[in-house]
Amino acid sequence: MNMFSSLMLASLSVLTLPIMSSILNTHKNSTYPHHVKNIISYAFITSLIPTMMFIHSGQETIISNWHWMTIQTLKLSLSFKLDYFSMIFVPVALFVTWSIMEFSLWYMHSDPYITRFFKYLLTFLITMMILVTANNLFQLFIGWEGVGIMSFLLIGWWYGRTDANTAALQAILYNRIGDIGFIMAMAWFLFNANTWDLQQIFMLDPNLTNLPLLGLLLAATGKSAQFGLHPWLPSAMEGPTPVSALLHSSTMVVAGVFLLIRFHPLMENNKTIQSLTLCLGAITTLFTAICALTQNDIKKIIAFSTSSQLGLMIVTIGINQPYLAFLHICTHAFFKAMLFMCSGSIIHSLNDEQDIRKMGGLFNAMPFTTTSLIIGSLALTGMPFLTGFYSKDLIIETANTSYTNAWALLMTLIATSLTAVYSTRIIFFALLGQPRFLPLTTINENNPFLINSIKRLLIGSIFAGFFISNNIYPTTIPEMTMPIYMKLTALTVTILGFTLALELSLITQNLKLEHPTNMFKFSNLLGYYPTIMHRLPPLASLSMGQKSASLLLDSIWLENILPKSISQFQMKTSILISTQKGQIKLYFLSFLITLTLSMLLFNLHE
Amino acid sequence: MSLAHINIFLAFTVSLMGLLMYRSHLMSSLLCLEGMMLSLFVMATMVVLNTHFTLASMMPIILLVFAACEAALGLSLLVMVSNTYGVDHVQNLNLLQC
Repeated sequence: MNMFSSLMLASLSVLTLPIMSSILNTHKNSTYPHHVKNIISYAFITSLIPTMMFIHSGQETIISNWHWMTIQTLKLSLSFKLDYFSMIFVPVALFVTWSIMEFSLWYMHSDPYITRFFKYLLTFLITMMILVTANNLFQLFIGWEGVGIMSFLLIGWWYGRTDANTAALQAILYNRIGDIGFIMAMAWFLFNANTWDLQQIFMLDPNLTNLPLLGLLLAATGKSAQFGLHPWLPSAMEGPTPVSALLHSSTMVVAGVFLLIRFHPLMENNKTIQSLTLCLGAITTLFTAICALTQNDIKKIIAFSTSSQLGLMIVTIGINQPYLAFLHICTHAFFKAMLFMCSGSIIHSLNDEQDIRKMGGLFNAMPFTTTSLIIGSLALTGMPFLTGFYSKDLIIETANTSYTNAWALLMTLIATSLTAVYSTRIIFFALLGQPRFLPLTTINENNPFLINSIKRLLIGSIFAGFFISNNIYPTTIPEMTMPIYMKLTALTVTILGFTLALELSLITQNLKLEHPTNMFKFSNLLGYYPTIMHRLPPLASLSMGQKSASLLLDSIWLENILPKSISQFQMKTSILISTQKGQIKLYFLSFLITLTLSMLLFNLHE
Repeated sequence: MSLAHINIFLAFTVSLMGLLMYRSHLMSSLLCLEGMMLSLFVMATMVVLNTHFTLASMMPIILLVFAACEAALGLSLLVMVSNTYGVDHVQNLNLLQC
């Protein structure tokens, strides 16, 4: 009898303690944020023990302890699935959240509602844990909706700002469209498999799983910002930087990918859905990488980078490699959160300046932030033997050597090189060169909260890939032999992207200003997608609604269909075929002619 | 028939053609109408006198009375047209709207 399940449940339930302390009103004092941060670090350490036990023994567990209700033949209970995916994700998520909480102690220090902020972040973390450890679709849906709500509350944190409210609403709307797919999948499973439990679904292994998997794909498109439902992610950067670091880079947006990974036994039998996910991911990763090339807000560039990496994860699922996608989720969390925290450090030091055209020369002014930004960017682009390499390079290799859609593969490779391009753009504009910010800014990164949190994630960005991939048990066998040009593909395109971007960035300091070309405008305005989709469909549906409600019955059915149409038709046809002009002269003339003709007829007729 | 009859008949025909084919003034057609009435009167009187049909000699006089009435009617119509348009050009007499 080991302590596996009890330690895991302990670490999950310890997270709920600060929420319940609202009853005791301890959340009003000023040390509450520190309590929350400490609780999360304790939960992290506690969850490491079951994870190490899992790595040692490979024993997966299902904890099903409270039977909620039975609706005819459907049994709903509270059950936790502690398998490979959730056991490795929980410590990673807790580690990243611990660092972000410590960072936001520095970032949100002057905010009067900092305790509420920490409570929201903690609630988000709890719902994310519910989502990840759920064993049935109902519990997963609870977590799914929970992270959506907390995302809304956190994006609109500075609710006095119109753009923040719009962005929060946008996030909710796009997520809701994805939820339609989720509910469709739940309904299908209810009808055809009589259950919402994952074990029973996988055991029954239904044929014709097109419909539920399409629904799950739609849900992943909404939650993970794939192409078609993607504009909410760059708009979500209106929230504070810790929110962007936690929700929109590491945890919430991977919920969609996680859902698809959970259903990999169903997906590996359905080639159609795999092709769909592959193409969707390829479009997303290329499109968002193109959009990231010309943005000027540092947080938006990193948001598009997140979106592009999410597309890469979806591509990995599309080539039937769920374990690689999961590895990429875990490694991506480290360096993306660190990139956001470094950008938060820059923004705060430059007195809330987010435009990279007004930064520069921070290489000497903020050495620690510069170091971590560069290391994070290198990890993102897949520099050999940093964190990103272990997942990203494996993905590219597997995609190259598998029997897959060549166009999707080409898109993915181009997007990989564009990753290097925009990373170079950030580094060049924010860090190198001469300063372009105002001279009297007080640049200070000398706070232990900031430095410790970034340092932890820095060590994670360098070593976590190696550490995780050496300790997990083998799942799908990676391709070991391939031609050397395929092995070096990812590295080659990345170096190509770096050199190209460096050349272009150096050129911008010498030539005169040119007017933006059409490609530039396409990339800068996010492919015109938000401009079109946020204006045209609402206008069409609202005007259609107005016309059908107010004009249809009265003016069309009562007035126009019979009376006015008949009169109009008669007038038009009579004008068309009439030759009379109403002039009396012509009538008299015709009378005379008739008279003459009749006289001739009657007199000459023998 | 005799030459006088042909003469009167020709006068009637010319007036008829003048009534039906006028150019622009309504007054000219009214004048031709009077000419028609006149030739009819002369023709009727000649026939009655030549055939000594005494009882029918009422007819030209009654015809003249009715001609005066209709001349007055025609003139009143002309006055109405002239009130509306100022001139009696016949192209104004067009109420057809399409």
